[in-house]
Amino acid sequence: MKFRCEREVLVEALATAGRAVSNRGGTLTALTGIRAELVGDRLTLTGTDLDLTISVELEVSGDGDGVVVLPAKLTSDIVRAFGEGKVEVTVGDEEAEIVSGAATFTVLLLAPEGFPVQKPSEAEAVNVPAKSFATAVKKVVRAASRDETRSVALTGVLMASEDGGLRLVATDSYRLALSDLPGVSLLEESAQVIVPARALSELVRLIGNSDDTVAVRLDQGTASFSLGAKQITTRLIEAEYPNYRGLIPASQPNRLTVGREALLEAVRRVALMVQSTPTPIRLVSTSEQLELMAITPDRGEAREGLDAQYEGEDLTVAFNPEYLLDGLDATQGDEVTLQTVDGLKPALLRSNDDEGFLYLLMPVRVS
Amino acid sequence: MRLVIARCSVDYAGRLTAHLPMATRLIMVKADGCVAIHADGGAYKPLNWMNAPNRVVEAGAEWTVTNPKGETLTITIAEVLSDTAHELGIDPGLSKDGVEAHLQELLAANTHAMAEGLSLVRREYPTDIGPVDLMCRDADGRLVAIEVKRRGEIDGVEQLTRYLELIRADPALADVRGMFVAQVIKPQARTLALTRDIVCVEVDYDELRGIESNELRLF
Repeated sequence: MKFRCEREVLVEALATAGRAVSNRGGTLTALTGIRAELVGDRLTLTGTDLDLTISVELEVSGDGDGVVVLPAKLTSDIVRAFGEGKVEVTVGDEEAEIVSGAATFTVLLLAPEGFPVQKPSEAEAVNVPAKSFATAVKKVVRAASRDETRSVALTGVLMASEDGGLRLVATDSYRLALSDLPGVSLLEESAQVIVPARALSELVRLIGNSDDTVAVRLDQGTASFSLGAKQITTRLIEAEYPNYRGLIPASQPNRLTVGREALLEAVRRVALMVQSTPTPIRLVSTSEQLELMAITPDRGEAREGLDAQYEGEDLTVAFNPEYLLDGLDATQGDEVTLQTVDGLKPALLRSNDDEGFLYLLMPVRVS
Repeated sequence: MRLVIARCSVDYAGRLTAHLPMATRLIMVKADGCVAIHADGGAYKPLNWMNAPNRVVEAGAEWTVTNPKGETLTITIAEVLSDTAHELGIDPGLSKDGVEAHLQELLAANTHAMAEGLSLVRREYPTDIGPVDLMCRDADGRLVAIEVKRRGEIDGVEQLTRYLELIRADPALADVRGMFVAQVIKPQARTLALTRDIVCVEVDYDELRGIESNELRLF
């Protein structure tokens, strides 16, 4: 087995597949490797950590079909370190010779036995517009939990069929993001799956600025997303998702309307005072104006006033600035509304220009 | 551990030279030969030091510490304010995961959180390859070897499997069964455990601690 291709192409393919490679070998050393399969002039590189698998196909000059497992990080580092030009990989019984220019590396191969080989999904593919899907995922994925010890379900994004379209929901129990994609019928009526947030973040990265379509296949506990020559397959999370519908308040008496960009910038500025601390920032709403405040016992205070329209009782409500920024960043439109009941109940962030999206945010208790 | 508080100056000669002028400092001479000179501030970093192996020569008011590379630390002592020595013994090492250790402790005190009818035989049940976290008996009187992890992954199942193999080699303990307990158990670990007849149990650390969070949450 031997193949030859441009260094740049191989670097990118190794990096993409390598993003799924387990950073801890654990009991399966093969998982620290990238599986390279050559069929004719088609090379498929695959990395996996058992939960997430990323495959990339690329065109090479091939000579002799075969399958090997290369050490992922070492191979990637070597190829990246080469200068521009062709890279040639010649595979022997126990080692691979990687040559570019005058440099030759002989790398020991990993035993291929432990490397899981996935059967191609037999499920029918549903084509989804890549750009709008990536946009919807980006809006919600940041609200998913990164803490597996609390609930595995919360580390995923719920994908559910809703009014003939697709609904994406993520929550870490402090905030919840919901984005609707009308007209995208990925799932059967009333069906839902939980896809690991990590897999969807990788998918967004793969999609980049592509205007293409993503072929989605849901099959026996896995989801696979194909975009051109790249494919991500992930194990679905088999757990019960919280009843998010019950969390979204039907009506809230206080309504703040403010310029999104202005609020975003002001929150960023005021949050400098509480950076790297658990201290929240306060939004003090009165009929005259909105004031942002950060008060710390050991650093000082920050205050900033903003033009805003406010209907309701004078109210101070405090938020984790990072979570508030995530919500403001995810919402599209010039103006946002923040609806509240009081300083202890969930606040709802929305925009008239972004009807399919809502962001529910729990306040932080302050004295 | 020898602790000397003295007014001293220190000169280092090696890759470069460095001079600490006369002042009151703490000189630590550790059992392994390491010498460190501390000021009255900073959590851990000495002003100057020399790692073991080295040779310490005390010639009256002048101590010379020399390492195999020929680098020297010369401590000139004007006045000794205190000079004491203590035997610290072998250090038990750093306990890295407080949560895991605490979880084991809480489960030992609340065995019912893992299964009804479970009673503790002992914590840290010894085997030739290391201690089993908890050894219990179930309601039927059968021994249960329990491995406790914060996150239940394949490695933990493999570890428990090795313990079980070793314990079962003793005919008197041949019917011991395994239980894998963690705050969260990964699907692969659960699948592997089930193929080996190991029971998986997820437990809530906060609930065990009896902690009610003051944080506001959506649910």
